[in-house]
Amino acid sequence: MPQRILLGPQRPITNLGAAIVDAALPDGPLAVISAGWQEAESDIDDIKAVVQRPLVDLRIYQRAEEVFTASPELLVAYRARQDKLKALQRLYRLRLRRLLNAARQMLRARGEASVIEAEQRHAIAQLRALDRHHMRRVGSVHEEFDAVFDVATHALLARHNAEISALLDGSETVLLTGGNVAVLINRLRLFGLGALLAGKNLVAWSAGVMAMSERIVLFHDNPPQGRRNPELFGPGLALIRGQVLFPNARTRLRTSDRVRMQLLCRRFAPAVCVTLDSGSVLRFVDDGLAATDSVRRISDDGRLRKVKAR
Amino acid sequence: MNAALRKLFRKGSPGKAEIDAFIAGAEFPLVDGSEVTFVYRGAADAVYLRCWISGFDAAQPFQLLNGTELWVSTIELPAGSRIEYKFEIEAGGNRHLIVDPLNDVLAHDPFGANSVCQGSGYERPVWTLHDPEARSGSIDSFNVESAAFRESRETNVYLPARFRRKRRYPLLVVHDGHDYVRYADLKIVLDNLIHYLEIPQLIVALTQSPDRLKEYAGDERHASFIAHDLLPQLAEKYPLLDDVSARGIVGASFGGVAALHAAWRHPELFRRLLLQSGSFAFSDLGRHRRTAVFDPVARFMNAFREDAGELAGKIYMSCGVYESLIYENRSLVPRLQTQGIDVRFEEVRDAHNWENWRDRLRSGLSWLFPGPLWMVYE
Repeated sequence: MPQRILLGPQRPITNLGAAIVDAALPDGPLAVISAGWQEAESDIDDIKAVVQRPLVDLRIYQRAEEVFTASPELLVAYRARQDKLKALQRLYRLRLRRLLNAARQMLRARGEASVIEAEQRHAIAQLRALDRHHMRRVGSVHEEFDAVFDVATHALLARHNAEISALLDGSETVLLTGGNVAVLINRLRLFGLGALLAGKNLVAWSAGVMAMSERIVLFHDNPPQGRRNPELFGPGLALIRGQVLFPNARTRLRTSDRVRMQLLCRRFAPAVCVTLDSGSVLRFVDDGLAATDSVRRISDDGRLRKVKAR
Repeated sequence: MNAALRKLFRKGSPGKAEIDAFIAGAEFPLVDGSEVTFVYRGAADAVYLRCWISGFDAAQPFQLLNGTELWVSTIELPAGSRIEYKFEIEAGGNRHLIVDPLNDVLAHDPFGANSVCQGSGYERPVWTLHDPEARSGSIDSFNVESAAFRESRETNVYLPARFRRKRRYPLLVVHDGHDYVRYADLKIVLDNLIHYLEIPQLIVALTQSPDRLKEYAGDERHASFIAHDLLPQLAEKYPLLDDVSARGIVGASFGGVAALHAAWRHPELFRRLLLQSGSFAFSDLGRHRRTAVFDPVARFMNAFREDAGELAGKIYMSCGVYESLIYENRSLVPRLQTQGIDVRFEEVRDAHNWENWRDRLRSGLSWLFPGPLWMVYE
């Protein structure tokens, strides 16, 4: 049965090698998807040094570049889709800011519980409705594109899909690295990797774990300029269910702000908001949590609580 | 009198051992809210505090405390301030400047070192300190053959960690680049901000002039050097993005003038400017009020104020409120805004020095060149 091993950033603590050993993953070469690092995707020597096994570089960033060069109509449609998605994201962000501010104010309000709690629930419900709406809109833009440019119908994409599939035949385990999560998920989708990866053991960290989840949430509470709110980016590959993943949370989330944390928890429930810092390990076998180390979940009172294997 | 000193003198003049213990147990200067007390211990005819900050030019005399060799001087310093200073010791008819022997915090510049007084609430930003987790970039060096100056100019180039020839990078041209690295910890700052994803991976050309007061003062040869010598040779040698918004120019003091002048002359090349405590002397009528070295600067600035040409884009400016140049910098902001330029101007309680410029690099660079931290999860 395939395992899903989710790790935090591999710096300063590198626990990739130990996680593979602890999970007793089958011997043999490991396939690597490192498209999040774009032009540097094939710089995987440091991974090789850690895992001490042969690596098979799936080169999906480079493949996408080749496809864009060879198929101008695909490139045009791809760019049009990206423009549409960016426009949607901008509009979503405008509404999100107001709804989040309102929800935070509701959660900070003091007074009689019977009065306040209903308002809090309603404020969060509005936020959840906006998130659902945004996910639907993003999903429909993807569907529109996929209807024309899909691995089943587009010859070039089909060829790459078959090549990747053949490469994967020799690897029971696939590593998904960090990097630019948008670049990563877009390439994964383009080559139909969701279906190809479903039956594999997956070991992912940072952007890699986000891409594996059902919903990708972009977040950074402490940017050097201005303030931004955690926002839904779109669907991931849904190879991990029921979790919204927050890598490097110690740096990127204001975890001491209970209201912000509480809101994250309630906004994405029933999915569990999970933080993965450097050194964290979360291992699922058959959708069941088999092992964990240094992983926290955000609880509905805004505190971080240790995640324990059942 | 400062509370700690009052305690020391509560039973009259303290003895040598008590003073030794007091000095060993305190941090100097003594900061108590907005009151800062400087202390000098030693034989002298007189002691003065020298700060070279605007509004505080004169030497502040110290007072000798009864029956001791302790000299003290107290000033008001608003919270968050940071000033650099020296002591002037008068003895036997001679005067000489020294750093504060009781204060280990020093700031260095091309002229030597000054003691640093950190007012209440000032803290050195952590991103200016070496972070062992941040990957280190490297400094390359090459000679730019300059037609403008008819000589070869050695230029250092910062390359980010994990530099790859097959990638293309934004470029930053930094005036007084060697000084920025040496006195404003520019390399550490770049390594850290890139590591934190607050700025993208950049290539940074660190230029240095052998005659900056002349070449940086609105000198056409310098603008030509940047546009026609440096940039093409950098583009030949390094993988740079060929995009005006991926190119920035930086300078402090006279370097700020040089940066503005080069961008004014070549608006097609630069639309991201970082100008720190620019020496933007000008006059509305008659001669400017500074020394003759500013004459060419004022000619340029007056021409610029008259016609800012095609200059566009984003400009980050900063200036210390304890600098006389705060007037010129404040005056420039509305002129740039009239031009339609997106200006961010930061005033800080600091003076004309490298650490002031260091402390502003994060807000300036991350505003001009926002990093990929929203999308990249390492």
